[in-house]
Amino acid sequence: MNDVSTTRYKWIGTRPIRPDGVPKVTGRAMYGADQTFPGALYGKVIRSPHAHARIKSIDTSKAAALPGVKAIITGADFPDHKFEYIGPERVAVNFWHVTRNVMAREKAYYEGHAVAAIAATSKVIAEEAAELLDIQYEVLPHVIDVDEAMAEDAPLLFEDMITRGVEPTPTKPSNISKRLEFEIGDLAKGFAEADVVVEKEFKTAAVHQGYIEPHATAARIDADGQAEIWSSSQGHFVVRNLTAKLLNLPLSDVRVTPAEIGGGFGGKTVVYLEPVAVLLAKKTGRPVKITMSRDEVFKASGPTSGASMWVKMGVKKDGTITAAEGLFKYQAGAFPGSPVMNGCLCAFAPYEIENQKAVGYDVVCNRPKSAAYRAPGSPISAFAVESVVDILAKKIGMDPVELRLKNAAKVGTPMIYGPKLAHGGYIETLEAVKNHPAWKAPLGPNQGRGVASGYWFNGGGESSATVQVNTDGTIAVATGSVDVGGSRASMALMAAETFGVDYSQVRATVADTASVGYTHVTGGSRVTFATGTAVVNAVKKAIDDLRARAAMIWDVPVDGVVWENGTARPASSNVGDFPPMSLKEIASKAAQTGGPITSSASVNAGGQAPGFATQFCDVEVDPETGKVTILRFVAAQDVGTAIHPSYVEGQIQGGVVQGIGWALHEEYIYDKQGRLDNAGFLDYRCPVMSDLPMVDALLVEVPNPVHPYGAKGVGEVCICPPMAAVANAIADATGRRLTELPMSPPKIRAALDAAAD
Amino acid sequence: MPMVRVVLSNGFSRRYTGGRREFEIEAKSLRDVMRALDKLYPGLGEHLETETTVAIDGEIHDEPGYFQKLREGSEVFFIPKLEGG
Repeated sequence: MNDVSTTRYKWIGTRPIRPDGVPKVTGRAMYGADQTFPGALYGKVIRSPHAHARIKSIDTSKAAALPGVKAIITGADFPDHKFEYIGPERVAVNFWHVTRNVMAREKAYYEGHAVAAIAATSKVIAEEAAELLDIQYEVLPHVIDVDEAMAEDAPLLFEDMITRGVEPTPTKPSNISKRLEFEIGDLAKGFAEADVVVEKEFKTAAVHQGYIEPHATAARIDADGQAEIWSSSQGHFVVRNLTAKLLNLPLSDVRVTPAEIGGGFGGKTVVYLEPVAVLLAKKTGRPVKITMSRDEVFKASGPTSGASMWVKMGVKKDGTITAAEGLFKYQAGAFPGSPVMNGCLCAFAPYEIENQKAVGYDVVCNRPKSAAYRAPGSPISAFAVESVVDILAKKIGMDPVELRLKNAAKVGTPMIYGPKLAHGGYIETLEAVKNHPAWKAPLGPNQGRGVASGYWFNGGGESSATVQVNTDGTIAVATGSVDVGGSRASMALMAAETFGVDYSQVRATVADTASVGYTHVTGGSRVTFATGTAVVNAVKKAIDDLRARAAMIWDVPVDGVVWENGTARPASSNVGDFPPMSLKEIASKAAQTGGPITSSASVNAGGQAPGFATQFCDVEVDPETGKVTILRFVAAQDVGTAIHPSYVEGQIQGGVVQGIGWALHEEYIYDKQGRLDNAGFLDYRCPVMSDLPMVDALLVEVPNPVHPYGAKGVGEVCICPPMAAVANAIADATGRRLTELPMSPPKIRAALDAAAD
Repeated sequence: MPMVRVVLSNGFSRRYTGGRREFEIEAKSLRDVMRALDKLYPGLGEHLETETTVAIDGEIHDEPGYFQKLREGSEVFFIPKLEGG
């Protein structure tokens, strides 16, 4: 752990106790399932037992007649939406799909797909009513694997799906929703210049974000149409917007209060339960609360894609990578919209390679619709590319860090998506690894070391903040960003630094949708950058107001007052001989100088710098059992400026741990009927403490000049390198290259047996 | 008025400009760029506004904003919108 930034700032870079700590450790923090309304009904979602089935009929009469059942809804109760892709390409939202994911209509597309919902006076009655629902299905052939879903004779999820992005437009439907292609340079020339060319195929398993807190919501809607929702999400404004759109409600009629969140990692940026709860509440005239079980979380909420990939790269003997090509096929789940575009754009992004091409396919299959998962898409393609880079290094006899340094992207490097890279930071992460004492530490028998890098765009966009200066000199900062990774502390730190006051004077909160301006989700590693900018701007406005009030008190022009170290001072002796006036003194005169001191700021923040990470790990492979033990993990990351270093380290450590799970243990396992066999944490194997070493987080600080304090997003790029780092370490230990995730003991054993043969 | 270079992605150029990807445009701001492109290809401005992320001299902005300033020789890339988790 390294302390950073403290020499430049008073508060930025310090590690105060987290403001949400006491309620969380005392069990009083209100998570999604903790909120209820008086008289609330129990909501239960009825889900398809089939991976793919036509819904022939739903007879609710017997269930509805059960005493205690207050309402039953099906897809027919929701407004339908036009079939059109609206908005940004990566997240091209088609509400015809979204409404069908929230509640099936013509077909159930995956086991766990919602087909009806019941509101009853108790859980027991709701479960009894569920048994009385008569749902007739016509079971259809299903397909899970992405390569099988792309096959000519694959069962079709949508009989009219024509692949977008292909010319001429195909005449036959398929499960391929979209084809993407990005290219720079001359690929043939690049490969012709190479001395060594390596190509390999890779597969990754679908994995779930694995947040501890299941989805939960409580909703009510009054006779005047005003709806109130309490839910656990990564963005209550997005919950509001999606729910309002799906139910044809005005935005101003829906107010969403954010609960504390027990993990999201991208998976809580969409809605599942909220529109259902509001509709049940509307039908019954009573509040409704719905909570997912763990089984439902696995079967019905968005995991990330499984993928099938092919990567080819060429290198000269001197280490210059001359060409790179990748084919990336990602499962979207039941509806289009995998993160394959990000996978294509991030795949080769750490490197300056003159000739590159990435082709991506977005493929539907009978699994839950994929949702974002930390740097969505990038970790998947990074596994393939960083494995090939490791092979290239071995083939030309070059240290893998030196090979990366020789080809590292820097300011001005042309990117596959068009522009030149505007921010550096990658080289510094490589240097941090190279200079780490453990990088050259000796290894024992059956042990190996692997290194890998990663790239993520990071986000900016719309955020809002409101600042109130209280009459006792304390300060309230409210933002619209759900606090997933410690943003209340970092917002308070930035506010204290800008005001020039003590951190203990500032209290940051997360406001509901009616109490602060629109703020986009806590995702894309955007909050410290974008919402932080809004906070600093709001504080600057408040300081201008404080200066004006000091000028009023002193009876001098406002230009004659400056703000230094939390006090108003005369700009020069010409203004007058006034002692500095503290924020508290000015605030105490708020009523006399014009009323409460408040300010707000909203931004559409741009110029966010991307994140680069380089990590290495040491593993030991048990040759008898195939078990892989992680002995050491070192994770270097360019974090811009670490506003609260403990939280930044926590983000990096968390990303690495999830990456280790993705690498070694985690996968969705389906039976022959397309039903999930391991929908629980006993069988879906997330890493636990005993699986893990201390993750050594190296904070590399290359500040982003666009942000007031140099912040860059830190929450996502840390999950990009671990899978390849572990694979490369296993290859180093065993001499066998694993190309399919998870690298579980049976696969390791099979690889070792193949070596023995 | 500064002269700037504007580049569309392959997908956008295929869909909206008959394959033409690069443009030289006189513009002080992104608003000027979108107005000029919309004049050349009616409706394109709306598509760019809602469906793209923009990179100005390499700096990525999640959404193209009217207020984003340009200078002589600026490079403006409209690229598919990015979204994180």
